[in-house]
Amino acid sequence: MKWTLAIAIFAATIVLVIISWFQSGAIERRRISSADTPDEAVRLLLSRVKSHNWDAAYAQLANSSYVDKDNFIHTFSGDDGSLRTYASLENYDVWPLHSNGRLATVRTKLHYSTAVGPLDDVRDIQVEHEGDAWKVLWSTAALPKLAPQVIPVNYLRWDVINRGAADDWGVQNVDSPRVRIVSMNAVQRPDRIVIVGEIVNEDTVPAYVDVNATLLHADGSAITQENSFDKISHILLPKQVSPYRVDFPGYRLTQIKSVRMDAKSMLVPASADPVIEVTGQKLQKDALGKMVLSGDLVNESGAIVNIPHVLASYYDSNGKVIWVSDGYVDQALLPQTPVSFAVDLPDDIASQAHTYHVVVNSFVNQAS
Amino acid sequence: MRTVITWLLCSLAAAMPATAAELHAPKDIAAGTDFSITVNGDSHGTFYLIGPATAEKRSVENGSEISIPGTDIEKAGNYQAILCSDECVSTEFYVHAAEADRLSLLVHPSRVPVATTNAISAVAIALDRFHNIVFSHAQVDFSVNSNNGSSASHAQPTNRGIAWIRLTSAAKASSAKISAAVGDTTETRVVEQVASEACNLHIKSYWEANHLVVQTDPVRDCSGNNVPDGTVVSFTKTDRSGKTTVDAPIKKGIAKAEMPVVGNARISVASGVVLGNELNVGGAR
Amino acid sequence: MDTSFFRRPIPLTASILVALAIHGPLLMMELPLKTSYDANFHVFFASHYAQHWFNPWNEKWFAGFSQTTYPPLGHQWVAMFSYILGLPLACMLVYLIAILLLVVGVYRLSRLWVSERASSYAAFLTAFLGTITFLVYSAGQLSTVLSAPLYLLALPYFYDWSRSADGRALLKGVVLTLVAAAVHHVTLIFGSFMFALPVLWLACIDREEESSIGKVIGRGIVFAILAGIGVAVVLAPYWISLIKHPIEQVPIPHASRSNFLLNIDYAINYFFIPYGALLLAMPFVVWIGAASRRLRPLMLGFWVAFLFSLGGTTPVPKWLLGRAFEILTFERFTLLAALLALPIVGVLAEMLLDRYKAAAAVGLSAAAVATMAFAMGWITWSPYRPDSSLDVNPVINFMDRDGHDKYRYLTLGFGNSIPKISTYSHANSVDGEYNSARLLPEFTHYGTAQLTSAKFFGTAGMESLRAMLEHANKYGLKFIFVHDPYYIPLLNFAGWRQVEIFDSGQITVWAKDDVPPAHPIPSDAKPTALEGILWGTLPFGFSLLAILLAIFMRDRADASRNLVEFPAITQEPVFIPEAR
Repeated sequence: MKWTLAIAIFAATIVLVIISWFQSGAIERRRISSADTPDEAVRLLLSRVKSHNWDAAYAQLANSSYVDKDNFIHTFSGDDGSLRTYASLENYDVWPLHSNGRLATVRTKLHYSTAVGPLDDVRDIQVEHEGDAWKVLWSTAALPKLAPQVIPVNYLRWDVINRGAADDWGVQNVDSPRVRIVSMNAVQRPDRIVIVGEIVNEDTVPAYVDVNATLLHADGSAITQENSFDKISHILLPKQVSPYRVDFPGYRLTQIKSVRMDAKSMLVPASADPVIEVTGQKLQKDALGKMVLSGDLVNESGAIVNIPHVLASYYDSNGKVIWVSDGYVDQALLPQTPVSFAVDLPDDIASQAHTYHVVVNSFVNQAS
Repeated sequence: MRTVITWLLCSLAAAMPATAAELHAPKDIAAGTDFSITVNGDSHGTFYLIGPATAEKRSVENGSEISIPGTDIEKAGNYQAILCSDECVSTEFYVHAAEADRLSLLVHPSRVPVATTNAISAVAIALDRFHNIVFSHAQVDFSVNSNNGSSASHAQPTNRGIAWIRLTSAAKASSAKISAAVGDTTETRVVEQVASEACNLHIKSYWEANHLVVQTDPVRDCSGNNVPDGTVVSFTKTDRSGKTTVDAPIKKGIAKAEMPVVGNARISVASGVVLGNELNVGGAR
Repeated sequence: MDTSFFRRPIPLTASILVALAIHGPLLMMELPLKTSYDANFHVFFASHYAQHWFNPWNEKWFAGFSQTTYPPLGHQWVAMFSYILGLPLACMLVYLIAILLLVVGVYRLSRLWVSERASSYAAFLTAFLGTITFLVYSAGQLSTVLSAPLYLLALPYFYDWSRSADGRALLKGVVLTLVAAAVHHVTLIFGSFMFALPVLWLACIDREEESSIGKVIGRGIVFAILAGIGVAVVLAPYWISLIKHPIEQVPIPHASRSNFLLNIDYAINYFFIPYGALLLAMPFVVWIGAASRRLRPLMLGFWVAFLFSLGGTTPVPKWLLGRAFEILTFERFTLLAALLALPIVGVLAEMLLDRYKAAAAVGLSAAAVATMAFAMGWITWSPYRPDSSLDVNPVINFMDRDGHDKYRYLTLGFGNSIPKISTYSHANSVDGEYNSARLLPEFTHYGTAQLTSAKFFGTAGMESLRAMLEHANKYGLKFIFVHDPYYIPLLNFAGWRQVEIFDSGQITVWAKDDVPPAHPIPSDAKPTALEGILWGTLPFGFSLLAILLAIFMRDRADASRNLVEFPAITQEPVFIPEAR
């Protein structure tokens, strides 16, 4: 009995550990590591990228002699203080597109966790059969390099001296900038109410703006309040227009009587730079068949823009704002170097969109 | 607390027999000036002075007067003096503000578009050196000086310590110094008279290498003032490659943008809600 | 009687002094406050009791939360001692008391199962346990470490009552159980199965001649019912808050739930370090435990605790706990497993010393010291060690000046420094370090813990942070202190502006100008005044009662008579009249 029980406990412990090992997906990981199929090869590569095992990931490239390792790493980890440098690969979906036994194409959707929220990246990856396993044929665009040059910058900057705490109460403060909501539209989406519109700084000084929206009952009482958060350009130069969007998840237009809008403005120090040109704007379908507004961003200033944020407002044929969408671009904007962008647009809105207006918000890391 | 003490002391004073000494204060007392309270009878005892911002207690010896230093009555308002020995007596007196010595000047707004009627208000409040409002009649001299050399002035009497005027902004953009003076005291505020909306926004273009450079004429408002640098001008170009937009700030009076052009292109310009002319240009060189 | 040095038991006093000599200086250095994750959390809870003994509603975290969601006794004793020693030293004193009580508790538990000599070895080795070092200096778990010995002390009374219907034992056992529950309910719940069932089994084996198994079990049930009713009353506000707000938040990942075979760092942290040289003894624990009829229940209790301590390395915890698996953390089970193993380890030590004498003594001592040394070293070597170098005084000073405390604040990248700020600042935060008390949807809808460490929870963490920042106006969240530049882009795009810099840029302060002052957030989780009074009186009152009982109702002096030495092989049934 005594030996039986001891042996049973040892055996049971081992069996339990093995069961859990299977449940933890260890077999799946082992299978993937063999890279017997094109999608397993891509999964293996991405799993190594995810764990920042760059050497192993690079070793898995069929064309590693033609791919610069730093360039390969920068594809995932970013450079120039771009959003990719604030991102980590969290998950990925992989599905094969086609294969001829020697070459195959695999589509991947990479899910990044970034400093500003989730970011998805769709890539088609070529895979080649080499020996007993599949290996990835990595195609990487050469990193843009700027020719040494001097770009003159005439900084336009506003500083603010506010009333001091020790000043007499009669000493006036500088007034808040005059801003105005020039359009507002409440849109019912399947899971939410969305308030979209545009706001303009009518003053001659820069303004910090924020738009709050309150849903109201018939008796005027407030139901809930939300604000534009990052769906707005918070710093508006004189006469600059920004789209804004306020989301109310879980609400329906039938529940509300009206919406109270509240545009807050404040005088803040600001700079007129950088100036970003938005070229080649087009409404088109992307690789996954979704409608997107795409184009290129060109930084016309001399400093690097680390994280660009694209805000687009869409108008119907009457000039009414019908939607606002936004997206962060994961590449930094080097001076005079175009970087493409694409922001989503619901299909039903796309069919009504007559024209659109794009505004670029930016983050420039002062430390870089 | 002070109210409670006052009430207790007054009650005490009222309860005393009428045979006690009497206190007499001067009728006209200005804030911050020394004065004396005359005592008819025995002035030995404890003296209390209670005012809007004071509650003081001290012992006094025999004499016909109790001296009150100006530092005890810096705040204008009703004061009560109480003298207690075997019994308590009291008197009340009013301290008015001293000579107008300073001004509080409230000017609104701090920025105003040019040529706007009654857009600026200036309110002056006359105060003595202890920050009491001077309710007596005083003349406030308002003056406006623009940095373009023009100036104007206007004298306005105070009404219960306050004088005010409304002003129309100048037609030329400039900083206006609005001053108010009482006696030797002058307070100044600055109002920026800024250009209004852009007027007759006009663009022209020329080629530079393979890029089309689009730039505005000097951007001015309808009064001919330069719209301030930093004001955003939006250029929009539509051609075969799609739409291109640039929000360019005005620098040195003009806004400029470079754009690639494919085929024929239409270029428009706007600043805020003001639209400018449109250009149609040919293909790239 | 053998008088050899290696065949004599170690006096309990000596074991206590050794524990005091080892842990006293470390605790005087306030090491847990600098190196552990949770010690500052316990100080924060205690600081609230020190200021608001009868009001468990704490506004400083999560825009208001109820401290009735966590048993209060450990924190209340820290608060009580803090009036004399100050909070940090008071907390250290309670840690020290817990460790010393563990030595006594292990000795008394061991005496139920094994000889006095083996028990003395078990008690002696307690101070060197890797899991104690891990839980005190690395995890900072005050409640588990304090609750476990109280529970151990209750078990012999449970045994006495179940076996021989001793009324005094019933009273003392139930009171000690209530006190243990008032320190930490989770330890009690799991202790019931892992400790109490084996002890009840033992009581059945050792039952008096005239008694039946049914009677023993019946008495055990009576004890359980009385303890259950007592726990329900003593912790009534806790149960009320749990019923009102059952834990329904999205599970938060914790490394102790993972499969240690797949991550060597986790395996070191949660397996090798806590167990140390005890791992070498484990096969013998099973072997010896299985060989003896009396030790079998103890060994099985150890095995279950051991399986739980492995987290996701075996499927057992998930099978048995269901959804609760995603709520619990499993490092605490290493302590329970070690405590259950120690009596048998004492027997093993006894056997080794009998056979190898000095060599065994050296070997055992070396193993014990090495276990503790590695556990202490791991505090420095661990990749998961908390960063205690951050000076949070600028944050405290900023929030307490110029009326800044009218608003709520948030820290980003501050690791486990939140409690330190909250303890010494008047200002309130929307974040906090106690997952079970969070009711704001910005937390509960996402699988993330503290917002200050949002990035480590990936998309879930950053989405939770975004949700909180979106509702900054609602919560009066105006100031954000950033110690990690990772979060700056989001603040920039969300409209916050940098307003101050501390420590040469180590910490930056960001403000959103249009945020209105904070106002109390209505919550149905706020305890009533009566609950506050119950919470402030019952747990502490029962701990005083337990002390009074220990002083004035002494255990019988002849408790050690007629002890059966283990392993005594007998042909006749042997009953132990008293075993403590």
